[in-house]
Amino acid sequence: MAGFPHLHVASAYSMRYGTAFPQALVRRAAEHGMDILALTDRDGLYGAIKHAQSCADAGIRPVFGVDFALAPSASRDPASRAPASREARPRTGPDAEDRVTVLARSGGWSRLARLVTAAHHSGARGEPRVTRELVGSWSGAAGSDGFGERDGLVVLLGPRSDVGRAVAARRDEQAGALLNRWRSLVPGVVIELVDQYGYRDAITAVRMLALAEAAGVPAVLTNAARYLDPADHQVGDVLDAARQLVPLHPRHLERSTSHAYLKSGEEMGQVAYKVCGGDERRVGRLLHTTRRLAEACAVDPLELLPLRGPEPHNLHLPEIGGDPVPLLRHRVLDGLHERGLDRDEHARTRLEEELRIIERKRLSGYFVAVAGITDMIRQMGVRCAIRGSGAGSLVNYLLRIGEVNPLDHGLLMERFLSEGRIGLPDIDVDVESARRLDCYKAIYDRYGEARVACVSMMETYRARSAIRDVGGAMGLPPHEIDAIAKAFPHIRARQITASLSDLPELRESRLGDGGLERVFRLAEKLDGLPRHIALHPCGVLIGNSALRDRTPVERSLLEFPMSQFDKDDVEEAGLLKLDVLGVRMQSAMAYTLGEIRRVDDLEVELDSVPHDDQDTYDMICASRTLGCFQIESPGQRELVAKLEPRTMHDLIVDISLFRPGPVNSDMVTPYLEARHGWRQPYYPHERLRGALKETHGVVVFHEQVLKVIEVMTGRTLSFAERMRRTLATAEGREKVKSWFEPLALDNGFDERTVRKAWKVLDAFGAFGFCKAHAAAFALPTYQSAWLKRHHTAAFFAGVLTHEPGMYPQRVIIDEARQCGVEILPLDINRSGREWRVERVGPALSVRVRPEDLLEPGAETPARRVREFRAGELGRGYALRVPFSGVKGVSEAEVERMVAGQPYTSLADFWDRARPSRPIMERIVQVGGLDAVHGLRPGGPRWRPGELTRRDLIAQVGVLERASATGVKGGAGRKKGYVPNQRDAPARQAVQLPLGFAERIEPGELPEMTETEMVEAELEILGIDVSRHVISFHDELLDAIGVVRSSELLDQRNGAEILVAGVKVATQTPAVRSGQRVIFTTLDDSTGPVDLTFFESVQGRCAATVFGSWLMVARGVIRRTGSRAVSMRAVDCWNLVDLDAAWRSGGLAAVRALLDRVPQPDQAVGGRQIEYANGFRLSPYADIGPAPGVVDPPRRLWHASQGSSGPAAA
Amino acid sequence: MSRLYGDPIEVWTREGQPTQFVWRDRLYLVRRVLDHWVVAREWWKTTEGDPGERRFWRIEASPGREVGSYELRFDSASGGWLLMRSWD
Repeated sequence: MAGFPHLHVASAYSMRYGTAFPQALVRRAAEHGMDILALTDRDGLYGAIKHAQSCADAGIRPVFGVDFALAPSASRDPASRAPASREARPRTGPDAEDRVTVLARSGGWSRLARLVTAAHHSGARGEPRVTRELVGSWSGAAGSDGFGERDGLVVLLGPRSDVGRAVAARRDEQAGALLNRWRSLVPGVVIELVDQYGYRDAITAVRMLALAEAAGVPAVLTNAARYLDPADHQVGDVLDAARQLVPLHPRHLERSTSHAYLKSGEEMGQVAYKVCGGDERRVGRLLHTTRRLAEACAVDPLELLPLRGPEPHNLHLPEIGGDPVPLLRHRVLDGLHERGLDRDEHARTRLEEELRIIERKRLSGYFVAVAGITDMIRQMGVRCAIRGSGAGSLVNYLLRIGEVNPLDHGLLMERFLSEGRIGLPDIDVDVESARRLDCYKAIYDRYGEARVACVSMMETYRARSAIRDVGGAMGLPPHEIDAIAKAFPHIRARQITASLSDLPELRESRLGDGGLERVFRLAEKLDGLPRHIALHPCGVLIGNSALRDRTPVERSLLEFPMSQFDKDDVEEAGLLKLDVLGVRMQSAMAYTLGEIRRVDDLEVELDSVPHDDQDTYDMICASRTLGCFQIESPGQRELVAKLEPRTMHDLIVDISLFRPGPVNSDMVTPYLEARHGWRQPYYPHERLRGALKETHGVVVFHEQVLKVIEVMTGRTLSFAERMRRTLATAEGREKVKSWFEPLALDNGFDERTVRKAWKVLDAFGAFGFCKAHAAAFALPTYQSAWLKRHHTAAFFAGVLTHEPGMYPQRVIIDEARQCGVEILPLDINRSGREWRVERVGPALSVRVRPEDLLEPGAETPARRVREFRAGELGRGYALRVPFSGVKGVSEAEVERMVAGQPYTSLADFWDRARPSRPIMERIVQVGGLDAVHGLRPGGPRWRPGELTRRDLIAQVGVLERASATGVKGGAGRKKGYVPNQRDAPARQAVQLPLGFAERIEPGELPEMTETEMVEAELEILGIDVSRHVISFHDELLDAIGVVRSSELLDQRNGAEILVAGVKVATQTPAVRSGQRVIFTTLDDSTGPVDLTFFESVQGRCAATVFGSWLMVARGVIRRTGSRAVSMRAVDCWNLVDLDAAWRSGGLAAVRALLDRVPQPDQAVGGRQIEYANGFRLSPYADIGPAPGVVDPPRRLWHASQGSSGPAAA
Repeated sequence: MSRLYGDPIEVWTREGQPTQFVWRDRLYLVRRVLDHWVVAREWWKTTEGDPGERRFWRIEASPGREVGSYELRFDSASGGWLLMRSWD
């Protein structure tokens, strides 16, 4: 016997049920000498492709099946009207639902996929259910071997099935009737015996075997495996609890004992022996039937993996109506004319070459379909740009899928699609994020649901989610779970224990000593297990009407049909996809163009703006790139200042250099030195000059790696692309070296040159960036910078509305102010739904260029940059705070507020816009009615006879009591107002005129102070509009000698100074030294201050950096260029603490805090991950947003000056 | 009729299965295993490590000529055997 075939196995893709990945299960099966292994995950085929891959690698034949929940039977079903079905089912635990396993026969994949799809569409979303009838309708015809037809399905009725339960309850007659019902609907019905050594397992199995023998139904043995090893059952218990949202208790658990693992053939023989009561003949028959069924269901794994077969692959191609080959040729020839390339010999040859490859791979239809979709998206008025390697293809340019001409930038198609490249081409397009779903809908409408599906992705357990689920299972209180989970950064679950001692901020939290060891230990065991399925952010499958024969499709949260395969599976399964990614910057730019049109009545054709506008480059070189796409981060602001881009190509290089790889392998310095002429460019050989000249001898792009290999070996670019892919790993590099050197020597290069060329490849080959990617990125980068330079206010309106960047709104607002744009407060008559541009004063001609002021001829690029005056950019324009910025406001309220404009008074606004009371109060507090009622807050608090904001808030109460028609504030937090009995009659009065209501004397209540105003703005809008928060601390900051951002450029190198500001960004990216480095940006109202905290200071600083909102830091200045300054932080303090010390103990107390002697401290721990070329990485680098305070506190300082604040209004 | 005991006993095993045991000074030979099952302990309630599982055997055994049914329990954490029940 060739090993026992397991026919009922759940992997980790049975979400929150299984514990082992298909790969591990297959490996174990191979160790046991098994030749067939099934994967029967719960509710779907999520792991099927991975199972097929693992089986193909291990030489095992896979069987595919799904473990379905059975819908409660309809009452007309006579067999189920037995007593059992009337008993109340428990809500949790193994008895909560019946389950059956459905296996696909060798040719039954399509039917199984369709059944999964049908099951997911019959019940509620995420709760697929099958009925006997549903299974029957997909199970195929009767066959000759008792398992139905070859392309059909086989149902396994195990102890969890309706039949099994009747048997266990000793209702033999009912069991027989249920079994007959199954047999009348499904040709392939099999009784499944399981004995996991649970209580009464064996007895039930014995009785089921007797039933099968009596009814003449085949019986097979499985282990209903869900673990790899016996010890995994604790994890299984936790998953049971997490899946059902209950604490651990025997009542809720599946009661699968430690025996539910992938047992060896020998162990299964023992089970068979036990189930058959030691009857050797019956044992033989049981195992023989099991094997017969396995053989009937086993498939060649390559049937599911077309890419592993010979070319041309059996791909799933889109239907486009007509022969795609001439259609594509036709369209690209049209494109040649339209783009004016029809006389370009180079373009024609290149096009012919591309078409040859496309046609040989039979992909013509894919390109036609994608072009159809991008055309449709543009016709909808949605901005759309190509991204990624697809930009390297001339065909894409000619079809207008993308706007980047690959010939202009020397982009190669081979990076995208080549002869030797295994895998499918992948065209990515960026659309406006706000309209991404509109685009999806349009695609579905055009192609029909049967031909299109989104790609899914598995959300897996990480530290926070694992702690949440384990904490819940262990019965910890929810708020404690929340606090514990949030204390961790976004690390992997298995790093939890290590991080408790490695990271200073966690060491300080003392979570490690809280008796939570078991929670952490179990949470670590959940590491990487799939938790739930979600819509992939961009992938859309484009296929033909047979798509659902290939992939099961379920409903996503937004009701889009979604494949159960992830993006890797989809490619392996030979399905073509288009990535439609929502990009906020595209939305921001679309909004900007709209504002330009509205305010200045100017139509800007952004895609035809020339790419050589020196005014735009002046601004970039002056490092004023906050808000721009890709180049706004602290590192990029430093890099652009040093690199001084002047052309599109420079921007492409800049974007490519700012990647972990190039930064870490120090490609930046040699490039900059050669670019500015401080060093001779270095070429290993004269013949490589052509490939490396554009970047002064430094390898920056993948395309250059290809060209170097092509020149040195004399082989094709397709060959070079294959080599480049192999360069990614250390073993791969050894392998490539052994190919490269002899080929290059044969090609006539001497040994020294070959060695030098190899050194270059070895160092940079793995890290380069695809130039096509960078070129695709550079376009929106330039466009956003151009908009910032020429339509500053409108650009900021777009950025504030769609928030495309890494910085919070306050940073953008600050930048807008510094660019001369005024920020105007909320005004019920002028605010819109989103940020709006307003003209203040007449339109001025912008005078930013120095040559406008100086005599011509005196200008040089350096001078232009030095004298760049950002403050003039947005002169004459202002931005108005929108209604949608008010905390808690609903869409419908905003709608009414905008529709009802203009308003004459508070009462008018209340009547017609009908805001809830808390929203109304918030609008008053942030000054939305100042203009209407002529309020002038600030200054003296008591002004008898003059209306104040507090008077208006009191009015709101009067209005609410007076009108029962006002929309009540539902769950909103009410301030001080408690309806009581006395109010009841007044509330019943409908439309009582205001004059008869309670009268509020103007000036009866004090006006808000400036502090209170800023506090209200921070709480309600999240931004300080009237005054910068830091300005309240000016006195203290001046007293201790804090340097402002605008003065940083005047500091000498090495100076140790104090800086302060609001923390606006914290990052822990991967950096060269293998340390965890914290980059923090402070905003001090004159610009950003960028600080770097190295590990040596994190011991005392980490908790403060992550935990405070207003910060003071001491740092050392490092000058890196004429306009570039960075700071290495030495120490930091929470400004609120310093302020408290100042108020209580004066300047001396503050000095004492500032002068503390740093204690030598334990730094960040954790073993660095070291790569073969010396590139080291901290295990805590690049783990998403760091934790910590990002919102302002309720109070700006401990004691506000003699006021009880706006809450007392 | 079954009676509950819970007496610690000494058991000889082959491949994990009980073959004979001594209870109240008498040697019993295991004739047949009627049933065998495992019960996992509520591991989340204990403070340290894996509390193991309890393995139950329902067997026919005889001290002499007459054959009776007995239930034995093995605790994998403590390694001890108990005679839980007997049927006359």
